[in-house]
Amino acid sequence: MAQQSTVTRLPNGIRLTFIPAVKFKTISIALFIHQELAAETAGLTALLPSVLERGSRRYPDNLTLQRELENLYGAAMSADVQKKGERHLISCSLEMMHGKYVGADEEMLRRGLAIVGGVIGDPLVVNGGFKEDYVEQEKEQLARIIKGLINNKSLYAVEKCVQSMCADERFGVFKYGRLEDLAGISPASLWRYYREILFGNPVELYIVGDLEAERVEQIAREMLHFSRGAQEKSLPETAVYVEPAETRFVQERMPLSQAKLVLGYRTNIAYDDPLYFALVLYSGILGGFPHSKLFLNVREKASLAYYAYSRLAKHKGIMIVAAGIDGADYEQAREIIERQVEEMARGRISDAELENSRVGLINQLRLQEDSPYQQINRHLDGEIGGRKYSPAEMIRALEETGRDEIVAAAEKIRLDTVYLLQNEEGVQPDAR
Amino acid sequence: MPAENSKKIREFAELQETLYSYRIDPGLQLYVLPKAGYENKYAAFSTNFGSIDNHFQVDGSGETVKLPEGVAHFLEHKLFEDERGNVFDRFAAYGASSNAFTTFTHTTYLFSTTDHFSECLELLLDFVQEPYFTDDSVSKEQGIIAQEIRMYEDNPGWRVFFDLLQSLYRNHPVREDIAGTVESISRITPDLLYRCYRRFYHPGNMALFVVGDLDPDEIWRQVEANLARRNYQESGEIIRLYPEEPEAVTRPRISREMVVSEPLFNLGFKDPAVTGFNGDALLRRESAAEILLDIIFGPSEPLFNELYEDALIDDRFDAGYTAELSYGYALIGGTTRDPERLYERIMSAVEGAKQNGLSSEAFERHRRDRLGRFMRRFNSLEFVAHNYLAYRFRGTDLFNYPAVLQQIGLAEIEALLEEILNPARHAVSIIHPAAQEE
Repeated sequence: MAQQSTVTRLPNGIRLTFIPAVKFKTISIALFIHQELAAETAGLTALLPSVLERGSRRYPDNLTLQRELENLYGAAMSADVQKKGERHLISCSLEMMHGKYVGADEEMLRRGLAIVGGVIGDPLVVNGGFKEDYVEQEKEQLARIIKGLINNKSLYAVEKCVQSMCADERFGVFKYGRLEDLAGISPASLWRYYREILFGNPVELYIVGDLEAERVEQIAREMLHFSRGAQEKSLPETAVYVEPAETRFVQERMPLSQAKLVLGYRTNIAYDDPLYFALVLYSGILGGFPHSKLFLNVREKASLAYYAYSRLAKHKGIMIVAAGIDGADYEQAREIIERQVEEMARGRISDAELENSRVGLINQLRLQEDSPYQQINRHLDGEIGGRKYSPAEMIRALEETGRDEIVAAAEKIRLDTVYLLQNEEGVQPDAR
Repeated sequence: MPAENSKKIREFAELQETLYSYRIDPGLQLYVLPKAGYENKYAAFSTNFGSIDNHFQVDGSGETVKLPEGVAHFLEHKLFEDERGNVFDRFAAYGASSNAFTTFTHTTYLFSTTDHFSECLELLLDFVQEPYFTDDSVSKEQGIIAQEIRMYEDNPGWRVFFDLLQSLYRNHPVREDIAGTVESISRITPDLLYRCYRRFYHPGNMALFVVGDLDPDEIWRQVEANLARRNYQESGEIIRLYPEEPEAVTRPRISREMVVSEPLFNLGFKDPAVTGFNGDALLRRESAAEILLDIIFGPSEPLFNELYEDALIDDRFDAGYTAELSYGYALIGGTTRDPERLYERIMSAVEGAKQNGLSSEAFERHRRDRLGRFMRRFNSLEFVAHNYLAYRFRGTDLFNYPAVLQQIGLAEIEALLEEILNPARHAVSIIHPAAQEE
């Protein structure tokens, strides 16, 4: 059975969670700086990870950093932003081979933490700002990422549906911000912003591996000793409850072989709601698996799509249904999807659909324990969602949820926005 | 005469892993890797039959069969269905997830579960060994796969890659999409699927890899019992026919327009010499070529950083080498605002490396990097299972990688620089952004 994780605070207030695990060949380190998701700061937050990675005092350029990672037996580092509900997270993670394979147990951990500590806590600062050419180059790279969303049509369609659905909410902000945010960012303003959030916002560090808790804490204290404020800012909660007045229809056209249909639903169920696990089962039965209603009816019976699924944005209480179809089949595909949602609300769920989804979800939960990253993610979800569940608690909750609760969850779900991406030849649907 | 069933246990000290292998009548190879503490129990059942195996000799008769493109992939989809319906649902009842994929060279059926392992293994063995194709089910699948093909047609990364393969290869079937075309799959019939099935799904052409917190001998007994009741006959050797492929590329350059934010760029160097290698020698060539590409194109080297600072690449710029028994190539690619300038810079860096030689510091550093990356990937049971089988079909063993890496020398890599990165055998594929009205 898995050992207990331990949580401590470093002297500078960083919350350290250590997750002992013998089975992995690696040590995984992940640091998160929490920030609220907001249009005014999204560009600044999104730009930071790459600027930090570009240069720190210890690793002043990418070439130096990459060589250190290679010498550390091919350690992998990545700095990025994530969006979880209306939380915007800067993450800096490093995965490396465990030192036991080369007889260098602690040395490896020390060097790995030195990299994360150096990149986050000791950046390269010139004349009261980040290095100017790094900031300019990374602004250009970020602009490419923002424009590049269109290169993956499935992701693009889901993002566009969410953005139009939540146009007046913080969740509608793209995790990489907007192009127009970038021009106003200077090396000095970015540095001021970074100092402010590193000083005052919640910062968490996770370490997973075959290590001893006391030693991990001691080495983390030594390697992440930068100073921070005594008081941590508390960040606003995600707004979950929305009753759409009517269903919006949004359409976009571009030259494509396959149309993308995305339906955005409000579930009105938050992560800490007693009905949360009923919602998880609901989405599983509807479109989480190859045995689910969507796959069966849109793909296997009507032969309209290669993919058709439903997925939760669990911290926001949104459910996304998506399918890749022929534009000419739009009306039929949408009708089949909406009929499955109605069936769910009427409780027309077979025993096999319910039980297969239940054991399937339990299987997925157990599998999370085989991935250091997913273990970290589970802790992070608890932190952000305001409710921490152990794997055993989640499994029990899924086991105990019955049809009535699933129908109770279904009654709260409303279709908010329908988004269709298709080519010029596609049909002109009646806007409903 | 059938070879006797046998068992072998090997310990790999660097990896701290023990691998059990078995040969089971009539010729199936079974591999079991016990992984203490893992929740996941994972099995991958593969046949050495991929999209490039589209021309072969029928046993004894001298007659040959030429398949429409996409048969291996189509067969993969269709095995998931039988008289009783959909196989996914039977795995789902155990909480397991099942899937399959087809590559150029093989087809793999798999499941992942935390519970009811032996029931799931039985299901996997049964559905892969019990084909059921009808006119109705074939025609329904044509609609689904047509949508899969259309989805890939809109994927710029996929298009730029296949445009490159078509420019590198004039005749070899690696130039065709794994799923075929909407036209080619319309020619597929149940009879054709049965013929291919009988030819390529004999246990002698297959291998099974199982990994998880499991008892190897128990699995051995179960698989043996499952195969024993099927009365397999010995099957002759499969003779695969490949067209004559010239050393030269088809055309040096191809481009097309799509809805993308900036150009996509792929540069390929065809490696005709790869067909002279198999087994450990092939693994060694692949490993050495990867280090060569790391030394020239890796993110720790000057070229990458200069291109990045000039905004000609982003951090996903990558170089890799592929070594199969019948084809091989190096591929360098990414997104760029200026494909022409990127092309010039890459070609002159290759030229520069040839003139200045490669440093032994860089060689040792990249070798160490490759070793550690390989070890890290062992966290993923899927990685181990899939790659073990892929290397097995090339006649080698994934677990030999750390040892092979230690044998490689700098001189060998310098020789590959001349041999593989040969400007006489390269092609470029570009996707330009289509003009769009707002």
